[in-house]
Amino acid sequence: MTMLRLTWLLLAKDVRIAARSREVLGFMLLFAMLCVVVFAFGFLREGQAAQDQVPGVLWVTLLFTGTVGLLRLFAPEEEAGNLDLVARTLSGTAPLFWSKAALQLLFSGIVTAFLLPIVAVFFDASLFGLEWIALALALGLIGQAALGTLAAALLAQVRLREALLPLVLYPLLAPLVLGGVKVTALALTRAPYSAFSGWIELMLAFDAVVVVLSPWLFARVTD
Amino acid sequence: MTGVLQSNPARLSARQLAWSVADRFVLLGVDVAFAAGTLTVLWGDNGAGKSSLLDLLAGLRAPTRGEVLLDGVPVGDVHPADLARRLARLGHKPGAFLDLTAHENVKLLATLCHVSPSDEAVRQCLDRVGLARRDQARVVRGFSRGMMQRTALARLLLTGADVWLLDEPSTGLDAAGSRTLGLLLDEARQRGAAVVVATHDFSWLPKPDHWLQVRGGQLSEAQP
Repeated sequence: MTMLRLTWLLLAKDVRIAARSREVLGFMLLFAMLCVVVFAFGFLREGQAAQDQVPGVLWVTLLFTGTVGLLRLFAPEEEAGNLDLVARTLSGTAPLFWSKAALQLLFSGIVTAFLLPIVAVFFDASLFGLEWIALALALGLIGQAALGTLAAALLAQVRLREALLPLVLYPLLAPLVLGGVKVTALALTRAPYSAFSGWIELMLAFDAVVVVLSPWLFARVTD
Repeated sequence: MTGVLQSNPARLSARQLAWSVADRFVLLGVDVAFAAGTLTVLWGDNGAGKSSLLDLLAGLRAPTRGEVLLDGVPVGDVHPADLARRLARLGHKPGAFLDLTAHENVKLLATLCHVSPSDEAVRQCLDRVGLARRDQARVVRGFSRGMMQRTALARLLLTGADVWLLDEPSTGLDAAGSRTLGLLLDEARQRGAAVVVATHDFSWLPKPDHWLQVRGGQLSEAQP
């Protein structure tokens, strides 16, 4: 059985479990909504929402919401106590890593699609340069999914992981979030691509490193 | 040399196995071999190290010292996928995904062990362990411990492992379930599997080939 087939099998299993339990995605959507409402009230200026805060609100909300998903990423295997069995496939641990990263990416993508219009409405912002914002978001979510899956696996059996995961993950994701905020801010002001191409390249380079390193380290962690 | 060395050829063996937690040795200098087609019972007080020994034999924990061999090859050198297929461990946790049905669980976990069973083969195994057809299609989260054990046993049957390492497998099973379990272990032994059972309840067991007591971190051949 190929690695791709095993990855698909495990991803389908996780999607089925998520659809039946209706826990993780529901919590992520609710949490995202709550973050936007809190930020909208927090950044009120003379009764008006602060439009210049949109990039920060968007990216910080995605960072927080992504953590909610990551904390439950390995919950099915932990409850079952069969992580060793699921990790021991003919293709090694790669199918488990990629299926979990794909699940996180899927959930984060759904949350992002829900979040963008909500942020626009709450902050009364026009989403100019949406194609560049979408590219930055895609790069951000890929990096978060790859690095987050590794961090979640590292901390899967650690006490206080709810507190430790953000402590480990947020500093590592800082370049990605910074790049995302910059690209979003510049794209919203209709700046030309040349104004933020450096940030896009930084995000691309970051993703290339974590997409290669994370599954390699994951194999050692799960060993 | 401490511990017990059984007859050859050994399907699964351990040499000078030691395992410590916080400077206290739970197991020390264990030499043991489990031959193909035998049933061995591990018994001993709570905390004696039975479950730890099974985890070490299954390769789920790295020993402090010593090594475990599967057909003479150190388990660290066996491909993890082969290890998962050939060596079945039934522990205290359910082993099944709680939000999948019994049928889905058995099929998925067997497929991960490269068995790729048909739906009919999965149904037959679940029938064999006495799980009713309507329960086979139910999500296992609502299952009793005994039903969970039956689901786990069906997976073991389907994968056809060479070595069965079972920790208190009769927990939660009713009288009929325990009888079925005894029959299945006997069949596995006759098929050539090395079956190792850690238990405090001996009433349901088919006649074992060896009795091993775990005591003071070591093994000795003794009946309860």
